[in-house]
Amino acid sequence: MELGPIWRSLTRNKAGSVLIALQIAVTLAIMVNAIAIMQERAEQMGRPSGTDEANIFTLSSTAFVPDTNIQSLIEEDLKLIRSQPGVVEAIATNSFPLRQGGSARGFQLEPGAGKETLTGAVYYTDEHAIEAFGTHLVDGANFAPNQVVWGGQNGDEWPANIIITESFAKTLFPDTAESAIGKTVFVDDTRPVQIIGIIDRLQAPWRNWGEIENTVIVPLRQEGQQQWYLVRTEPGAQDRIMPEVEELLAQSNKNRIIQSVRTMQEVRDRSYLSDNAMIKMLGFIVTLLILITGLGIVGLASFNVSRRTRQIGIRRALGATRAQVINYFRIENLLISGLGIAVGAVLAIALNLFLVNAFSLTPMSWYVIPLAMLAMWVVGQIAVIGPARRASRISPAIATRSG
Amino acid sequence: MLKMTHVSKIYRTDTVETHALREFSLTVDEGEFVSVTGPSGSGKTTFLNIAGLLEELSGGTYELDGRDISSLTDSERSKVRNEKIGFIFQSFNLIPELNIFDNVDVPLRYRGFKAPERQRRIERGLELVGLASRMKHYPAQLSGGQQQRVAIARALAGEPRFLLADEPTGNLDTEMAVSVLDLLDEINAGGTTIIMVTHELSLAKRARRNIFVRDGRVSDRPPEIRLAASAGQV
Repeated sequence: MELGPIWRSLTRNKAGSVLIALQIAVTLAIMVNAIAIMQERAEQMGRPSGTDEANIFTLSSTAFVPDTNIQSLIEEDLKLIRSQPGVVEAIATNSFPLRQGGSARGFQLEPGAGKETLTGAVYYTDEHAIEAFGTHLVDGANFAPNQVVWGGQNGDEWPANIIITESFAKTLFPDTAESAIGKTVFVDDTRPVQIIGIIDRLQAPWRNWGEIENTVIVPLRQEGQQQWYLVRTEPGAQDRIMPEVEELLAQSNKNRIIQSVRTMQEVRDRSYLSDNAMIKMLGFIVTLLILITGLGIVGLASFNVSRRTRQIGIRRALGATRAQVINYFRIENLLISGLGIAVGAVLAIALNLFLVNAFSLTPMSWYVIPLAMLAMWVVGQIAVIGPARRASRISPAIATRSG
Repeated sequence: MLKMTHVSKIYRTDTVETHALREFSLTVDEGEFVSVTGPSGSGKTTFLNIAGLLEELSGGTYELDGRDISSLTDSERSKVRNEKIGFIFQSFNLIPELNIFDNVDVPLRYRGFKAPERQRRIERGLELVGLASRMKHYPAQLSGGQQQRVAIARALAGEPRFLLADEPTGNLDTEMAVSVLDLLDEINAGGTTIIMVTHELSLAKRARRNIFVRDGRVSDRPPEIRLAASAGQV
């Protein structure tokens, strides 16, 4: 190993090497944090919604005649949809996971104004919801049909019972190992509602909401002009049923508009469109940075080969094999990269701390920096191999040429 | 020690073929101090490149220590250069970014010596050329004569059996040239075989045997002597 002489030689010609080391450092810092952001977004995108996404589609029905009997329209629509072969279940709901629009209410453990309130997303629907969403009841019981009430969209009416997610149960009752079943919480300060069931998971409609797992199913059908229908089909039947249901509903009542007919996969894709774009953009930037850094290393190494053509010839004349010449440039690159990588690691941590504090980013995983360091080292070694091989082909006879 | 038989070297481009050496035959025995002289373009440097395994020959045979050199791989040639041959170049060929110690160290590292052994050899080599106190200096901080002495120390550090000197005093003034030639005499007296390529006949006379090269062939007499003989003055 020629570490000592190579290092001493580098310190005699610092400018190019320092610039490349800085480039590596900056690339590493940006790369690490971009990966951390990409990872965070990817993890968000990968969270299960708690529904049987592969077999669910949704559509919206908007009645445009003012005096339409919404109650009977909903009942007829649901009856029609549920009668279709291949349909597992269907509900009318105010929203569903990933829709990016919906309702949330404050729940408190004690009645009265000014008490601590915990927010949960609410899905106003009926006793078919658990089966329609494809979520699972883990404790308690489902709603009985007679527990479902009708109400307007102003939220004045509230049924006596609710079903909540496990996550929300833990949020409401963090200090007890007891089941939340049978416990009473209060909505709108004083209105008591009893928890009768707990489901394993059902995400709120907003993908970026911090309490996304805190969800409540309320057995209340809202009588609004606009309704969302969520339909769960048997596996493989969705593509056939979707257009059929759209057509059936459109034909059954022509005084409304059927629109936004989408599979849950489409809903998910639309919901995470910006995250997906962000991941692609950051991926592109990281790739570009690595490429530019790699080209910088190639450039510096090529320049060094050209500048040291005679020196390489002398080394060859003094007995260096081609492999030793290649190793020389690889070690030189290792030292430059090592410096850049070390500085880059510190920069990356500093930048991540800043991002975590300034933008509430999740701190990066411990393994991102070592992996990025390894990646930069590999990039450096790959980038230098071409110029190094060119150097190894320099003839030792160059040493006897006057110059 | 060194035996070249009918060696030829041809440089080819797309359109031109240059015969740098033709039917070049030479034998140098162990411990000899041989000078190779000739006019510019006569093939001296090509001979040196082939003798030093810096270039491959186009034809003929070359044996070094009884070993046929033409069959060696590039790595084997590097190893022979490193272990058996020391080089002294006209322009010193020190590496400017390395200090004197590291310059002398270069061939020793390729040889794979451990650090203490390398240090011993470097110190001894630099003491021999009188520059032990300048180890941390860089080439640019030394005079031409001192740089050539460092180059000699580097050439000798590996204890080669065979020293090739290419115009070793070409870039030195007379006083420094004499001191370098004195040093070469001393080294030769120690048993190292030396081949010195030079275009100066006065320097060539310091060698025990003189070889004259002309048009890529070994000539029996130097041009000046032959010219004098034809004029009836010798």
